[in-house]
Amino acid sequence: MGTPRDPREPPSWPFERVPPPHVSGDDDARAEIESHIELLVQELVAGGMSDTEARLEARARFGDPAAWRKKTHRTDPRRQGTMTTMMTRILQDLRFALRGFRRNPGFAAMAVLTLAVALAGNTAIFSVLDAAVLRALPFPDADRLVFINGVHRTNGEEAFRGASPLEFRDWQARATQVDPVVTAMGSTFTLTGVDQAQRVQGELVSEGYFGVLGGEAALGRTFTDEEMTVLDGSFVTVLSYGLWQNVFGGDPDVVGRTVRLNDLSVQVVGVMDQDFVGANLGSQLWTPFAQFGLVGNPETLQSRTSRWLPVLGRLVPGATLEEAQAEFESIALGLQEEHPRAHEDRFARLVPFKESYLGTTGNLLWILFGAGLLLLVIAGANVANLLLVRAHARTREITVRRAIGADSGRITGQLLTESVTLATAGGVLGLLGAGWALRAALPLIPQGVLPSYAQPAVSLRAFGFTLGVLVLVGVASGLVPALTSARRDLATTLRSGRGALTGRGNRAQKAFVITQVGLALMLLVGAGLLTRSLRAQLAIDPGLEFEGVHAFRVQPASERYPDPEAVRIYTEELSRRVAEVPGVSQVTLASDFPLRGGSSGAYAYRPDAPDERIRVHWHLIAPDFFDLLQVQVLAGRSFTTADDEESAGVVMVTEAFAERVFPEDPSPGAVVGRQVHFGDPSNPESLAEIVGVVENVRYRNLTQSMMDGPNSPDLFIPMAQFRPRTHEVAFRVAGDTAAVLGAVRRAVNEVDSSTPPFGLASLEGLYRSQTAMPRLAAVLMGAFSIVALSLAAVGIYGVLTFTVGQRGPEIALRRALGAEASDVARSVVWDAVKLAGVGVGVGGLAAFFAGDLLEALLFEVQAGDMTTLAFTGVALLAVAAVAAAVPAVRAARKAPADALSAE
Amino acid sequence: MSGSDLFTGTLDLLILRTLRAEPLHGYGIGKALREQSGGVLAIEEGALYPALHRLERKGLLEAAWGKTDTGRRAKFYRPTDNGVAHLETESDRWAEFSGAVSLVLGR
Repeated sequence: MGTPRDPREPPSWPFERVPPPHVSGDDDARAEIESHIELLVQELVAGGMSDTEARLEARARFGDPAAWRKKTHRTDPRRQGTMTTMMTRILQDLRFALRGFRRNPGFAAMAVLTLAVALAGNTAIFSVLDAAVLRALPFPDADRLVFINGVHRTNGEEAFRGASPLEFRDWQARATQVDPVVTAMGSTFTLTGVDQAQRVQGELVSEGYFGVLGGEAALGRTFTDEEMTVLDGSFVTVLSYGLWQNVFGGDPDVVGRTVRLNDLSVQVVGVMDQDFVGANLGSQLWTPFAQFGLVGNPETLQSRTSRWLPVLGRLVPGATLEEAQAEFESIALGLQEEHPRAHEDRFARLVPFKESYLGTTGNLLWILFGAGLLLLVIAGANVANLLLVRAHARTREITVRRAIGADSGRITGQLLTESVTLATAGGVLGLLGAGWALRAALPLIPQGVLPSYAQPAVSLRAFGFTLGVLVLVGVASGLVPALTSARRDLATTLRSGRGALTGRGNRAQKAFVITQVGLALMLLVGAGLLTRSLRAQLAIDPGLEFEGVHAFRVQPASERYPDPEAVRIYTEELSRRVAEVPGVSQVTLASDFPLRGGSSGAYAYRPDAPDERIRVHWHLIAPDFFDLLQVQVLAGRSFTTADDEESAGVVMVTEAFAERVFPEDPSPGAVVGRQVHFGDPSNPESLAEIVGVVENVRYRNLTQSMMDGPNSPDLFIPMAQFRPRTHEVAFRVAGDTAAVLGAVRRAVNEVDSSTPPFGLASLEGLYRSQTAMPRLAAVLMGAFSIVALSLAAVGIYGVLTFTVGQRGPEIALRRALGAEASDVARSVVWDAVKLAGVGVGVGGLAAFFAGDLLEALLFEVQAGDMTTLAFTGVALLAVAAVAAAVPAVRAARKAPADALSAE
Repeated sequence: MSGSDLFTGTLDLLILRTLRAEPLHGYGIGKALREQSGGVLAIEEGALYPALHRLERKGLLEAAWGKTDTGRRAKFYRPTDNGVAHLETESDRWAEFSGAVSLVLGR
C-alpha cells in the first residue's frame, strides 16, 4: 500500500479540472448522463452518422436513465421505461439471440426444424378441419338446419330408412318446432336433347325448399306454389349454374327452352345462383316433387310404407334440437297409433346438417387435430429442453451478466426473445411446409371422406391459428428455462455446491420427458387401436372375387321402355353387346351390386309362423351372377334360365339367412327345399322354395354384422320372375382395363344412346372406398405417433446426455471406488426407464380415459383395449432404454482417473 | 459473503481494475470493460453509474469533472488508496472463488 496521495494534486490526474456543467436542476448525476450521451454521440458521429441520427441512437442505446437514477437518487418516478427503450431492448435482445444462433447453428436448426415439422402438420390439419368442420355450410344460418331421418328403432338401435311420402306429409302437417319441413329427393336424370346424352344429378324438391336453403335464381325463377303442388302432367326444371355453363354454354335464352329429361319434355324456368349446391351438395338440376312422374309412378306419392325420402327443415326461432326431437317422438307415437301396422317401430331422428354431411369424418378430423396438438406439445417440450440445456451451458455468462447489473427481468426477456425467435422461424417454415403438405396430402384423401363443400387451403384463419400456437409454444418453451436461469445466481450456486445445478432445471427437464413420453404413449395407443381396427376390417372376407370385376348401371326410361318385356329385351341386348367387347369375359345382370352401399329391404315369413316378420334384403339376379362373383353355392343349385315367370317361385339365401330364419337347423343341406313367404304371408303366390344356399356376401357396409341391428340377411330372386328398372351390368375385364371400359361405354351407347351408363366402378374400387376411412385414420395416426416417438426419444437422449455430463465427477468417483463400467451404464439406462415409466403410467391413464373419443372410429376393438395399452407401454420403455444407450456407454467410458483430475 | 455482496463486489472489482490503469469517465469505463472482455461484459448504465456513485461514497473512488482528449466535459473517476488496497485483497478472493465456480461447473 502506497502513501496517501493528495487528491488535489494527482500525478495521474492529468486533466484540466473544470467546474461541473451547468444544467437545470443543478443535479450532478444528470450532468453526468448528459456528458455520457455527448461522448457516445461524438463517437457515433466519428463513425459516420449524422448528428441527429447519432443523438437518437445514443438516447436509445443509453436506455432509460431514470431506471438507474432512481436507484441512487430516487428521482422522478414518472420516467419509467418508455416505448422507445422497450423497443430498443427488444432489438438488442433480438440481435443478441441471432448472434447466439450463428455461434451454435446445430442447436438452432434442430429447434427450428422440430417446430416446423410439428407446426406444418398442425396447420395442414387445421386447414382441413376448418374447411370441413369449422366453416359454415354453404347455406344461410345453417346451424338451424336439420335432416329429419325416418328410422326403424328396435332394441334401442336405429336403422336409417328415410320417410314415406305420406309420412313426410304427416310430419309437415304436425311439426311446429321445425318449419318448413321439405323433402329433397336425389335422383339421377338422363338429359337428352343436348350435344351428348348424359346422366345428371338432380333433386325432386317440395314447397319451401329454396327458401329454407337460401337458394335464389340467377336467371328466371324458382318454382311457383302451383308447380310445387299441382299435378297436371307438365314438367318444369331449374338448372344449376354449373350445368347451365357446361352443357348449355351459358345460353342467356335458356329460360323457356324445353329439354328432355328421362325422355320427357321439361321446360327450363330458371338457373340458380353460382354458389347454390342444393341439399345433396352438388345437384345439377331441380324439379318439383309433385311432378314425380318424371322419375317414377306418381301413385308412389300415396304410399305410406315405401320409405326412401330424405326430409329436412329449419328449427323455428327459439326451438332447440332436443325440443324438436321430443316433438317428433310424440308425432311418431301418434302415427303408430293411427297406423299400427305401417308405423310399427317407426321414429324420426333429427340430425344437424353438419353432422349429417360429415359423419365420422368429423370425429376423425377432431381426433387428428387433437393428435396434432399433442405432437406440438411434444415438439415444444423438446425445444424447451434444448433451451434449458443451452441456458445451463451459459450459466456462467448469465450469472456474470446478472452480477454486472442485468436484472432478472432483463435476462428472462433475453431468453424469451430467443425462444420466440426460434418459434417464429419454425412458424414461417411450418407455414410453408403446411402449404406443401396440404397439396401433397389432399389428393391422397379418398373420395367421400371429405364433404364436397370442403376445399381445404392454408387460409388466413389457418395462418392466425399457426401464429397463435407458435407464440404459445415460443413463450411456454422459453419461459421455464428463462425463469430457471434468471433465478439461478452465483451465490446459491456456490453455497449449495454441486447440487445446485441439478435443482429446478433438472426437475423441469424431467417433467418435460415425462410429458413427452405420456403424450407419445397416447398417440401410440390411438394409432395402435386404429391399426387393429383397420386390420379387423381388412380381415373381413367380403365373400367375393374382385379380380377384374366391374359394374355400371343403366335405367331404361319408362317412356321408352314401358313394360318389363321391353326392359328385358333392352337389357339382354345390352349384355350380349357388352359380352362381345374384346377383353370382357363374362357379363351378368342384377338389381344391385355388392358394396355399393344400399339395397332394398322387405319382410319374409316362415309359413309356420306367419306373424313373425323377418327383415331381409332382397336382390334380383341373373342366373350367372354368383358365378361371376365366384360366390360359392354351399347346397342346392343356382338359378337357371328355366326359373322364369312361368315357373314356380324360387329363391336363394345366404348362410346368415338360414341361421336367422331356421335356427333349429341352419345347415345348408337342411335349408334347401324349405319354403318362405316373400311379401304378404296370406298370399299363397308369395310362397317360394329355397333352391340354393350360398356363402355370406357383404352386400352393404363391410363392418356391419350380417344379421344384427340395421343389417339383415340376404335373399336372392331370379330376375326373370321379378324385373327391376335400374339394372347393374356386371362383367369381368381382362387386359387393358381403360381401353376395355371405353369400348364397353361405346357399346352401351350403340344399343341406345338415350340410356347412358352411370356409376361405373370396379369391385376392388368399391371395397377400397369402404376401407378408405379406417385406412386414412390408421395411416395418419401411425405417422403422428412415429414422429412423436422419435421426438420423445430425442428428448430422453438429450436429457440423459446432459445429466451424464453433469454427473461426470460423481460417476468418475464411483468408478474410482470400484464400480464396474456396466454398473454405471445400467444406472443410466435405469434412470431413463424409470422416467419413461412414470410417463407411461400417466399417459396410459390419460389414454384409457381419452380412448372414448376414438370409439366412433373403432371396429371390433375396445377403446380401453388392454393389449394395445400394454404393448405400446412396453414399446415406449424399450425406446427409452435404446435412447439411453449412447449416454450410458459414454458414462461407462469415464475413466476413474477423470475424477482425480477434475476434483 | 452474502449473495448481493458478491454481485456488487464483482462489478466493483471490474471497475476498480479498469480505473487502476487510468482514470476514466463512466462512458470510458463501460467501453473499456466491453473491449477487454471481448464484448461479453456489456455493462448496463443502470448498474454502472449506481456502482460508481456507491464506490465514491464508500471512499474507494474519487471523482472530479475534467476535460476529455476531445475537449468534452466529463466526470472522471480514479481509485483512492483504499480503493487500490480493496482491489488487491478482493482480487485474491475472486480468484479463489472463480476457481471454485469452475470446479462446480465441471470445467
